[in-house]
Amino acid sequence: MSLISLELILFKIALIFCAVSTAGYLLSLIVKRIKLAKISTWILAVAFGFLTVNLLFAVINSSGIINPGSREFLSLCAWSVSGVYLALQFKTKTRILGVFISPFILLFMIAAAGQESGKYLLPQNLQSWLIAVHLFLTIVGEALFIIASCAGIMFVMQNRMLKHKKLSKMSRLLPSLNDLDRINHICLLCGFPILSVGIIAGAVFAELNWKAVWLTDPKIMWTFAGWIVYGFLLHQRLAIGWKGYRMAVISGAAFILLLLSYGSVRFCFSTLHNFI
Amino acid sequence: MIVLTGLNHKTASLSVREKVFSGCQEEKDLLKSLRSLNGVGEVLYLSTCNRVEIIANVEEPEGAVKNLSDFMAQNGGLTEREAASCIYKYYNEEAVRHIFRVASSLDSLVMGETQILGQVKDAYRQALAQNATGVVLNRLMHCSFRAAKRVRSETAIAVNPVSVSFAAVELAKKIFGTLTGKKILLIGAGEMAELTGMHLITNGAEEIIVANRSLSQASLLAEKFHGEAVSLDALEEKLIEADIVISSTGAPAYIITADLIRKIHHQRRNRLLFLIDIAVPRDIDPAASSLENVYLYNIDNIQDIVDENMNVRKKEAIKAEMIVEEEITRYVSWQKEQESVPTIVSLRNKAEEIVKAEMDKAAGWMQKLDKEEQAKVDSLVNSVVNKLLHTPVAALKEESSEFSSKDIVATVRRLFRLDE
Repeated sequence: MSLISLELILFKIALIFCAVSTAGYLLSLIVKRIKLAKISTWILAVAFGFLTVNLLFAVINSSGIINPGSREFLSLCAWSVSGVYLALQFKTKTRILGVFISPFILLFMIAAAGQESGKYLLPQNLQSWLIAVHLFLTIVGEALFIIASCAGIMFVMQNRMLKHKKLSKMSRLLPSLNDLDRINHICLLCGFPILSVGIIAGAVFAELNWKAVWLTDPKIMWTFAGWIVYGFLLHQRLAIGWKGYRMAVISGAAFILLLLSYGSVRFCFSTLHNFI
Repeated sequence: MIVLTGLNHKTASLSVREKVFSGCQEEKDLLKSLRSLNGVGEVLYLSTCNRVEIIANVEEPEGAVKNLSDFMAQNGGLTEREAASCIYKYYNEEAVRHIFRVASSLDSLVMGETQILGQVKDAYRQALAQNATGVVLNRLMHCSFRAAKRVRSETAIAVNPVSVSFAAVELAKKIFGTLTGKKILLIGAGEMAELTGMHLITNGAEEIIVANRSLSQASLLAEKFHGEAVSLDALEEKLIEADIVISSTGAPAYIITADLIRKIHHQRRNRLLFLIDIAVPRDIDPAASSLENVYLYNIDNIQDIVDENMNVRKKEAIKAEMIVEEEITRYVSWQKEQESVPTIVSLRNKAEEIVKAEMDKAAGWMQKLDKEEQAKVDSLVNSVVNKLLHTPVAALKEESSEFSSKDIVATVRRLFRLDE
């Protein structure tokens, strides 16, 4: 069996495990059993393992890191989100967070499955190690922000229930406010510098190759706006001491806003980042 | 037959329970004296703060139960009228149901409480150590443990807290996750506040500060928790440090106003604050509830949660009763099978006797055969007997597990003249 077909099989297995895990998470929310979410977390960990091996094979197979295929790129997105989520599970017991995270992972995986293998993501003129660094770090950084925002949205839900002085099944299922706030904190704290370095890498590359035009690219502007919002949040948290509800609301809102803007830019404008 | 007699919180007042409890406790070699009563075979004695019960396997139920309940009444010094009104007696399946329900905590004062199973297990362990139980009670107790386990794992009867202080702990955990390292501020030295503080400490909270109008009373309570005592003047300063505040003073006006919390919120660096107001009239301004990162619960809010949890338990109890019924059916069918066991044994004995007698008679001419042939005759005879007995034995077992086996047992005994 060739390495390429092995790579494909690994990817398919990871996709199946990922789908099962997402279904398990959603079911745990419906039947309100935390145990299902725990099992789903393990299934996701298995999917993550297969995906890791798959990506390793991809690196060996391809001409190098600097020229990723579209499928590899999207699986890398899925890999980063699930990696960050699973790493967080060591620190906090917030299995039910997966209900919000796993659909994103599955979406990335499905999008990756839809790509032809062997199709290269980047046009010839963009293949450089700076771009590889830029891609990897921005993806991981965004993954951390996705999780920070999901935790924020869950915080708002839990906060609402506790303020209404009801301990419903839903409230029992969701993690504690403190844990959610901590996740938000950790993700912002790690995500911001990672995204910063990623953006700088992209900027350096652009400056070297394109000179001035790139700054007006709509997608870059949106990313920059998002980066400023998260930077602002991190500043408020560290310097001003914002905590809990306010952080949760703003990071949730920022996330939804960025998602919408990404969608509108993706479909309405032509940008230098047409490949994603 | 299994019988059960005793009294519990539903039938007897605390004073009566106390008398019987200590009366039986004083008795030396209690299980031995119970077994020496007329007609009592195996016996088990269960006593907790809410019940005193004796479970026994007896030959002749009426007499034995009377002996057991008289024993209990005498030891507790109960009058005949008292005894008649509070001691209950269960026979057979009813007794099985009762012990299963007790072990599953369906008969407890607080339904779903978790201690009772441990107490039943202890009682059984004691009986085992003194060889007071036998096949029947051993089986019964194991089945009751299984019923209790299933009730615990298959229903949510013991999941949600049903007391104010435990509900407060659960809320605190929903806010803070873990209570490790959290600071508690008790305002007022009331009993309820003390109890809640105690539960929070056992769940990991580290420091307790007691604030009271009279400093001496504050120190008294603070000593219990190895905490700090302050007067009410230091309230603001301590509010800045605290994560959980339990207030229960008799003050006529609000002690903590919304403005006060707003003022210190910045100094607290916006940390989450859990306020529990169990005072009537209230100590904490309800307007504080709308502040960011502040969670205020008064006694009614917590009581509502407790009531809701109690309702959940009641619903779950219906499921639990069904599980208990299933386990009873299982036990009873085993018990019925046991009814036919003595008959099967005597049937086999009789057959063996006949074989032995006939073989002895044949010993004369069998001597002429060589060893191998003797063995062949032996096995031939045995296999004929076994094949003949197989069908009636199987039928006995089968019938008795489904219906009462009395009729078929009697028929078999008559057919084979087992009682002669």
